[in-house]
Amino acid sequence: MSNIEIKDMYFSYTENEPVLNGINLTLDSRTTAIIGQNGAGKTTFVKLLKGLLKPTHGQIFWDGKDISQMTVAQLAKYIGLVFQNPNDQIFKGKVIDEVMFGPINIGMSQEDALDHARKALSIVGLAGTEDENPYDMGLSDRKMIAIASILAMDTDVVIFDEPTIAQDYKAKEKIKQIIRQLKSDGKMVLTIIHDMDFVAECFERTIVFAKGNVLLDGPTAEVFAQKEKLTQAYLEPPHVTQLCNRLGYQQTFLTVEDFVAYVKRTLKK
Amino acid sequence: MKSISLYQDKNTVIHRIDPLSKILYILVAIIVPFLLASQIASAAFILVSIIILLMGKSLKRTVPMLGFSGLILITVVIIQGIFRPDNVTPALVLGSVVFYKEGLLFALGISLNVINILMSFSILVLTTKPSDMVETFVRMGLSPKLGYVLSSVFQIIPQMTETMATITDAQRSRGMETEGNLTTRVKAFFPLISPVVMNSLITTKERAIALEVRGFDSKQKKTFLTEVKKTRSEKVIKIVLAAVLILSLIGRVLIWLR
Ligand SMILES: Nc1ncnc2c1ncn2[C@@H]1O[C@H](COP(=O)(O)OP(=O)(O)OP(=O)(O)O)[C@@H](O)[C@H]1O
Ligand SMILES: [Mg+2]
Repeated sequence: MSNIEIKDMYFSYTENEPVLNGINLTLDSRTTAIIGQNGAGKTTFVKLLKGLLKPTHGQIFWDGKDISQMTVAQLAKYIGLVFQNPNDQIFKGKVIDEVMFGPINIGMSQEDALDHARKALSIVGLAGTEDENPYDMGLSDRKMIAIASILAMDTDVVIFDEPTIAQDYKAKEKIKQIIRQLKSDGKMVLTIIHDMDFVAECFERTIVFAKGNVLLDGPTAEVFAQKEKLTQAYLEPPHVTQLCNRLGYQQTFLTVEDFVAYVKRTLKK
Repeated sequence: MKSISLYQDKNTVIHRIDPLSKILYILVAIIVPFLLASQIASAAFILVSIIILLMGKSLKRTVPMLGFSGLILITVVIIQGIFRPDNVTPALVLGSVVFYKEGLLFALGISLNVINILMSFSILVLTTKPSDMVETFVRMGLSPKLGYVLSSVFQIIPQMTETMATITDAQRSRGMETEGNLTTRVKAFFPLISPVVMNSLITTKERAIALEVRGFDSKQKKTFLTEVKKTRSEKVIKIVLAAVLILSLIGRVLIWLR
């Protein structure tokens, strides 16, 4: 199984303003959420993983290979990133061209690329928009196009930077579905996200960034059990977790389903 | 955001001076030596400009400009020194080439003038934020629309560069090779053109809307966000500059009367 190893990584955009201060992490096949306050350095972190930014100190290894030895384009075969802002990602005048751009660049044949692109579009619910101009579509659809254009590349790692931005309930459910599917296809999924309920439902592992450091890292339930540290990072646990905590339950519940199941079990006794 | 202008943000007295005073200084520095027909006056203004630029911590940044005009001035010195028609007094003999005093003096005059103009403009350009400069022009009566166009000129290139960087990132993060040797980079340039142009058009449209909803086209008389600080020292600077100008005018008249 492939992994990404980050060793003692520092980064700053301008001198004297450190953004990341010595990150040590190994990312593996567990679905992983990255959470943290605005400006904590999450986007910067994933751009470093993509090679779009270069660490000022430290290294990143993809499957044991130092990524500074590869070009961004070479790395793109393995690691896909859905940008936080779809406007920064979309640049073609036709949806299908946009989605086929990646697959073709990483060496897929025209037919394969078209096939992948069509599938990706139907996964995100945009089948039939192939000939539209992405600039004429709304933010939520543009975000979905951005997602589709990464899915179509079929990379080993898929990174989402706030995929649920501007999405309604139905779209959020669709994104959950996509993440689960990627996981069962054996891909590494990494997601930056502010929606804690979403984190609790979808991710096995959670990493908390605060002021350029990793404050917490572990199984999602363990992370959300650390109330003090979360407050320190200006985060709050999922709503069910908070509710059960206030009700005095010792156990950390992550989803409504968990809690309902627990209550039913105890009532039966 | 980066800017194509030569201005660099530094916190010095000179940076805080009203752009109008700096414009006035340029006028005085150019007109006075002309009125007095005096090379010493030019030299004096150059000296003053150097001191001001030193105070504004921007003297070093004039070097490239001086270097460029220096090249041209050297040709002037050579051509005038050797070939000027009224050359009579040999001043310098280099092998078979003779430089004449009259030509050299003439070239010196030109050089002093050029350097003087360059240095006085440098003060304005190097120590004034482009937007402040435009605002000053608008206060002086330039139409706000033209003012907007002027300040956009300062922004358009950096904006384009930024858009290009964004699109390049979008392309290479999806497998298009943009790094490496010249051929790769040239090849990577063409797919950039149409998105960058399209992007600019869209931004322009959005900006027009943004300006419109904030009443850019309103017929009301516009006020300014920042107030001009009318400090004593600003007044003193302007009065001194005006006085220098008037004195040199009087000087000119006196020379005529003699
Ligand atoms: N291009 C840039 N140049 C300079 N500073 C930047 C740049 N991009 C981000 N920063 C700064 O780096 C810090 C981290 O930004 P980053 O975008 O990584 O945060 P984030 O955790 O993704 O926040 P958000 O949740 O708002 O997306 C911020 O202080 C930000 O202002
Ligand atoms: Mg971000």
